[in-house]
Amino acid sequence: MLDIKDLVSGYGSVRILNGVSLKVERGQIVALLGGNGTGKSTLLKAVSGLIWPWSGSITFDGKRIDGLRPDRIVRLGLVQVTQGKEAFPGMTVQENLRLGAYAVRDRAKTAAALERVYGYFPVLKEKRHELSGTLSGGQLQMVCVGRGLMSSPSMIMLDEPSAALAPQVVLDIFRTIHRIARDGMTVLIVEQNVRMALLLAHYGYVLKDGVIEIEGSAERLMHDDNVRLSYLGGTVANREAQL
Amino acid sequence: MDYVIDLVIIGLSVGMVYALVALGISLIFSGLDIVHFAHGEIYMLGAFIGLMIFQKLALPYVPALLLAIVVTGLIGVLIERLFYRRLTRAGGGYTVAGMGMIISGFGMSIVLQNIAFLIWGAKPLPFPVPFGMPVEVGNLTLPMSYVWIVSAGLLIMVGLHLLLRRTMLGLAMRAVAHNKDIAYLSGINVPAMISLTFGVGCALGAAAGVLIGPINYVQVQMGLGVLIKAFAAAVVGGFGSLPGAVLGGLLVGVVESLGAGFISGTYKDVYAFILLVLVLMVKPSGILGVEARMKA
Repeated sequence: MLDIKDLVSGYGSVRILNGVSLKVERGQIVALLGGNGTGKSTLLKAVSGLIWPWSGSITFDGKRIDGLRPDRIVRLGLVQVTQGKEAFPGMTVQENLRLGAYAVRDRAKTAAALERVYGYFPVLKEKRHELSGTLSGGQLQMVCVGRGLMSSPSMIMLDEPSAALAPQVVLDIFRTIHRIARDGMTVLIVEQNVRMALLLAHYGYVLKDGVIEIEGSAERLMHDDNVRLSYLGGTVANREAQL
Repeated sequence: MDYVIDLVIIGLSVGMVYALVALGISLIFSGLDIVHFAHGEIYMLGAFIGLMIFQKLALPYVPALLLAIVVTGLIGVLIERLFYRRLTRAGGGYTVAGMGMIISGFGMSIVLQNIAFLIWGAKPLPFPVPFGMPVEVGNLTLPMSYVWIVSAGLLIMVGLHLLLRRTMLGLAMRAVAHNKDIAYLSGINVPAMISLTFGVGCALGAAAGVLIGPINYVQVQMGLGVLIKAFAAAVVGGFGSLPGAVLGGLLVGVVESLGAGFISGTYKDVYAFILLVLVLMVKPSGILGVEARMKA
């Protein structure tokens, strides 16, 4: 569904991605892991069109999308939810969500999408007429994910949906992402919470210094010594002791 | 007492004109992160275009006003597309790149003034609109031109409010003003929205120009004075805040009118700035000043 080949990109003259290749199959949940500053967010931004790809190719649903304007990529059915729970604070929850369906001109479709989002996040329905500036962190994240779902995309990219949230809220968000994927959405998720992400995902990539360092099924990565050592807080000795 | 009420009414109608120009400046600032220093010339251009439509096409005043608003709005879209977009792409607002934006605004103002000079000459032109007899309200006599300015100004403001608050297009414009990345990821064509925002800002300036035309002359130099007053109005109300621009405009108009009536007409242009200094001393963000984060 999404096929990235040798992608090079960065900000200004600073090169962040040094040739990333990554694949996401339809219906899969793929986790993109890695430490701070390894280029995870940059990769998502390059895919969604917020920054220019310098070289390489990005193919979505059989179409080249590198170099397209972000709103065009959204119209093709690929949506990114950015990090940092950015909603429009001066607008109500419902207005925020409706904006997500800006590209959809069909009222009935928008109404159906809105009901679907309220189905995933019932608390948003209760708060639909409140300004999003008054919401809690978890609710804001729901608004952001919900806004991403409003255009009924075929694939969604989530940038650290669990960042700066209480553990119980993180669990809720992950459960909902699981439900969304089960309903047929393809998901690429960037996470610092490696354990949770690997529990959720089918396949995983580990990004380091702008290139893919390790890739494999979530099962395999979970038991990979390097991954355990670097990201899961386990040690090799620990693992041997378990065996 | 009647004298005071007369002064307030004059102040409100002139203030309405300041408010419209200030609204345009604030709207452009919130959407494009640029302070548009050529907005006085847009106001002048609007007045001339309105006058030409009124005289050469012999249309009545109201259609001339509406047509001038549309035409000037389109000219604004063109200016943004051809000149400002290249600069905003390199950054804007308070960055170093934003400085280029400010300079080019001044440049644009000189260019537009000279274009207007070449077309219409330096002589002030009258805008003779037969408004009819003054209306009597109680024991007050209101000249129709003032009634026109205030009611047309209010209608335009209500229209802008409905556009921004009640339509998807307005919602998208506000989204772009607040966060362009998120607007993009919501599927909004951000460059088109920026052009639209700039065009609407210019249309507001044109409305002000056509409304003031009949009580002042229309002339090439008319933009500068209004620009400075409108900036004062925008800052008094809270820069970037649309309700603030309206409140600031009306306040500047009324203070100016009362000052001219009670103290001295010679210093008419000073009162707006005394008000500005006083407001900034008490509340530096302006009366309805908002955090930049809340501007959407």
